[in-house]
Amino acid sequence: MIEFSHVSKTYRGVRALDDVSFTVEPGCVTGFLGPNGAGKSTALRVLSGLSRPTAGSATVLGRPYAELDCPAYHVGSLLDAGAQHPGRTGREVLTLGAMVLGLPRSRVGEVLDRVGLTGKESRRRIAGYSLGMRQRLGIGHALLGRPRVLILDEPANGLDPQGIRWMRGLLREMAAAGCSVLLSSHLLHEVEQVADRIVMIGRGRVLTEGTVAELNQGRSLEQTFLELTADADRSAA
Amino acid sequence: MSTIPFRRLVAVETRKLFDTRSGQVMAVILIVLTVALIAGRGLTAGPRLGMLIGTAGIGFGTLLPVLGILTVTGEWSHRTALTTFTLEPRRSRVLLAKCLPPLLVTVAACLFAILVAVPVTAVVAGVREAPADWAVDPRALLGWTAGCVLVVAMGLALGLLLQNAPAAIVICLSSTMAWSAIGRLGATGETLAAWLDLGTTTAPLTAGALTGDQAARLAVSVLCWIIVPMVAGVVRAIRKDVA
Repeated sequence: MIEFSHVSKTYRGVRALDDVSFTVEPGCVTGFLGPNGAGKSTALRVLSGLSRPTAGSATVLGRPYAELDCPAYHVGSLLDAGAQHPGRTGREVLTLGAMVLGLPRSRVGEVLDRVGLTGKESRRRIAGYSLGMRQRLGIGHALLGRPRVLILDEPANGLDPQGIRWMRGLLREMAAAGCSVLLSSHLLHEVEQVADRIVMIGRGRVLTEGTVAELNQGRSLEQTFLELTADADRSAA
Repeated sequence: MSTIPFRRLVAVETRKLFDTRSGQVMAVILIVLTVALIAGRGLTAGPRLGMLIGTAGIGFGTLLPVLGILTVTGEWSHRTALTTFTLEPRRSRVLLAKCLPPLLVTVAACLFAILVAVPVTAVVAGVREAPADWAVDPRALLGWTAGCVLVVAMGLALGLLLQNAPAAIVICLSSTMAWSAIGRLGATGETLAAWLDLGTTTAPLTAGALTGDQAARLAVSVLCWIIVPMVAGVVRAIRKDVA
């Protein structure tokens, strides 16, 4: 369970988030949809305690992320698949994570299997990984502590069609097991295919939210998305 | 499931020091350079244990602060802070855990230098058929180790404060030159260097004796180059928005 309550964030005079409020319920995948620069990543950093909101608050399981006891046991996050030390191997990154969480080393192998990285791939340095492999590694890292909440920022970027289908299946399974999944993306079709609910954001404001069916009523989701984000662009210009 | 124990953070940060190719290259260079410096000096200058141990300090003074700087700035340069601080949001604990391994490595390096210097002294004495000079003041040895630790701590403090490896390395390594220039700027420059240059203020430590006045100078320079920048750096990292 994730809750944003009137979150605003101003960076050097620029309002990156403006009174953002929405919730992510357990047992479903919530798509966080918006064009590039809409404030998705900023919102997820505020949620993960990496960035301080100017106003409002964001909580996970009823508490601010940084106040959770060993948060990675409750919340798995992938905030930027590219943010890895190129000189480490994939297996080493997971081993470090498992060490911090006090998990047995066998968990590393389990997670590698879960995200479809082979033993050989896992022993290569990340410098040689494709973006898709980095995404798989990042998702694996998020799964280490068997979390009940997943926060993923643009996890489908760089995945090939099989990879995207695999990720869709993984997120559906997690939601079916009762997890709260928040998935950000700028790709409408990707979100539409996996999400139960969608929160649309543009220029730092929540434009609309609802189930995929609700948002599709009357006109297509794409039309809604384009109109709303175009309006948000115009009003800011 | 309670909080992450601090020793676990230290173990992880120690592992991070050597689990990349650059970390491993640094470790190999450190070992090879220590052996080469001590052996080379022994063969040319004679079998004097105290002098040979001190020779290793020439390499330590540049390599170890750089290792420390790379450790504390690495999370920012590779943006791994995103992962590290989501695993442990209490950033001051992570930063403290990051500072300990380079300091412990420095102590280990000093011990290693002693371990290398002893057989080199014996072998050189045998080869050159000269009498070995085994005299070493244990207090000087301790003081020398403390001096090496302080120089690394200065690197850590500058790295924490600047969050930028090249800037911290340049300042750290050029400070010796800068101070020798400042020391020549008349009486004021001399006084400044005597109180603020860590190289000057740690010299009595290495000699194994520290008077009250020298201790005061050492304390002032440690405050200025280690404690203040370290505290400011930790505060900066805690308040920073991680991007």
